[in-house]
Amino acid sequence: MVLNVNPKSRLFSPHFLVLPTLIYLAFFTGYPILYAINLALTGSPPALLQVITSPRLREVLFYTIMIIASVIPLQLIIAIFTSIFFLNRFKGREVVLYLFILPLAISEVAAALLWYTMLSSRGFLNKLLLELGIISKPIYFFGYEFRDRTLLAIVLTEIWRATAIVFVIIYAGLQMINKEYLEAADVFGFNFWQKLRYVILPLLKPSIQTALIIRTLFAFQIVGPIFILGGEYVRVMATEVVYWYSMRMNTYMASAWAILIGFIVLILGSLYIKLIKPVEA
Amino acid sequence: MRGLLASLLHEKNIQVEFVPLSYTDMAAKLEAEVTARAVTVSVVGGLATEIDYFASKGWLEDLARFGTLPGRTFVDTALRVVDEHKRLYGITSFIPWMTATFVIVVNNEAFKYLPEGLTREDVVMGTEKWTWDALVAWAKNIYEKTGERRVGLPAGAGGLLHRLLHGYLYVSYTGYQSKYFNSPEAVQLWTMLRELWKYCHPESTTWSAMAEPLLRGDVWIAWDHTARIIAAVKERPEMFTVVPVPRGPVGRGYIIVLAGLAIPKGAPNQDVAWELIEFLTRPEIQARIAENVGFFPVVKEATPVIVDPGVKKVSEGVSRQLATLDGKPVFIPMLGGRAGDFIAIYREAFERIVLKGEDISTVLAELEPKLKAIFAELNVPEP
Repeated sequence: MVLNVNPKSRLFSPHFLVLPTLIYLAFFTGYPILYAINLALTGSPPALLQVITSPRLREVLFYTIMIIASVIPLQLIIAIFTSIFFLNRFKGREVVLYLFILPLAISEVAAALLWYTMLSSRGFLNKLLLELGIISKPIYFFGYEFRDRTLLAIVLTEIWRATAIVFVIIYAGLQMINKEYLEAADVFGFNFWQKLRYVILPLLKPSIQTALIIRTLFAFQIVGPIFILGGEYVRVMATEVVYWYSMRMNTYMASAWAILIGFIVLILGSLYIKLIKPVEA
Repeated sequence: MRGLLASLLHEKNIQVEFVPLSYTDMAAKLEAEVTARAVTVSVVGGLATEIDYFASKGWLEDLARFGTLPGRTFVDTALRVVDEHKRLYGITSFIPWMTATFVIVVNNEAFKYLPEGLTREDVVMGTEKWTWDALVAWAKNIYEKTGERRVGLPAGAGGLLHRLLHGYLYVSYTGYQSKYFNSPEAVQLWTMLRELWKYCHPESTTWSAMAEPLLRGDVWIAWDHTARIIAAVKERPEMFTVVPVPRGPVGRGYIIVLAGLAIPKGAPNQDVAWELIEFLTRPEIQARIAENVGFFPVVKEATPVIVDPGVKKVSEGVSRQLATLDGKPVFIPMLGGRAGDFIAIYREAFERIVLKGEDISTVLAELEPKLKAIFAELNVPEP
């Protein structure tokens, strides 16, 4: 059978095939982004400028950075070590694995309420410590005066709730690593830390990169837990978007904050890609 | 709500789908539908302040053409808001639906720690002696005797603390909600609030409604909206007493909250929509709403035979507040799209003065022009 291919249509057809996707992207991704940028640049002075010069910016950036910079590295470290741990075959491994991933199935608001109830002045933790006679007055984690401790509560909640997603990615990556490399390392007499440093981590880079990008993206979106645990006075960039959109009915300022988040995430994302170059296997 | 609507289906064969939406979502939906001329909502229920925003945008039908609703007398306070909308937007934008206010709920335990010169009777009846300063003294006494800060305010992200500021404290101290925002009387107000805050539960800044903290026993004295405390009183009616708010030097300022029903411009099934409005404002239905959601009737005939002891307690407390001779009832000002900015000014003042301890006069002087600008822009008198 002879296939008569018209060179013109060959040139045309690949583009024609991706056209639906392009239209889809232009309409559902491109247009909203451009629209948001336009909103962010509207107003006098433009909303984006108002955001950058606002007295709240410093405080907002401080909390955003504090939360993200403590949550993400901790999650990554925990995920890597638990992944290695779960490589061991032990009895009841599956059950423990499920339990570890379980928080992923709980909504972030429910998780935050859970931790709020646990850590509040009449919560489980304080009751326990009081019962045991370790403390004589409840420890406060919430409220304006205890903002620093609230930060700790937010970090704890986030680690409990969202480490599983990092773990799933890292664990999958770890299972892809050829066992022969590790066996070879054993032959050379590498100890655990040497194996981790010279074999596992370099080979895990693609997974670490994916996990970091996804987790950073999500970390900038946390709103519910921060409102529940911190009230109005622990402000991060995402809660500012919600504040301006729903409490002030100001779409310009909300868009400006959103654009700023998008910009920062874009920079961090490209940094991750640049800095964590996967090794050629 | 769904139960009520089922009985409407049974009676008139009108099927209503109830879609609970937040104010923000409702506003976005209405804007989209009205602009696209593809309205799918027949009736909107919301607070008068929310309907005010919709009316200011021209998204609502004039309800005057549907005529009157026989067999019910709307309370004057509610009709005053309808008239205000008529003056502002030239239409009958809504029919009053239900009303509420903010009161103080006291855990009966707290009465054991009343300060000298204040009796339970003073508090329950709202006498001359039941002042904001007396509340501070009471809170202080509780703190000194029990070591705990037992007053609660809804100062969290979704809380209504700003209503306490403009509708209660400012009215009680200056006679107005905004007019004397920066004045010696206002300085006195903020000095009192700073003092009171010392005895407020530190977790207050994470609470949006006071029912839970009251039930848990975190706080003994709490100020909040009736709908946001009623769950506590319904669950443990024997534990709590609902009392009028304290008074200030000028009187006892309090807010009357009003909810209404409106029909979006170009809505489908408008005649049936009007029948739904008729149904929801019937006296017997009004009584059932009160028992379920903590908003009270706007129709005089509904003066309900309330069965639930908790709802009865709240309703009695509200009545005593309404009956105080020095009462200065106010409405939340109708500011359309600027309502959020209005609220933000009071909340910022609270944050800077009470939480961060900035100088009162400096903060007030800095915020005052922003507040005045809102009224100047809308060309409405300062409330």
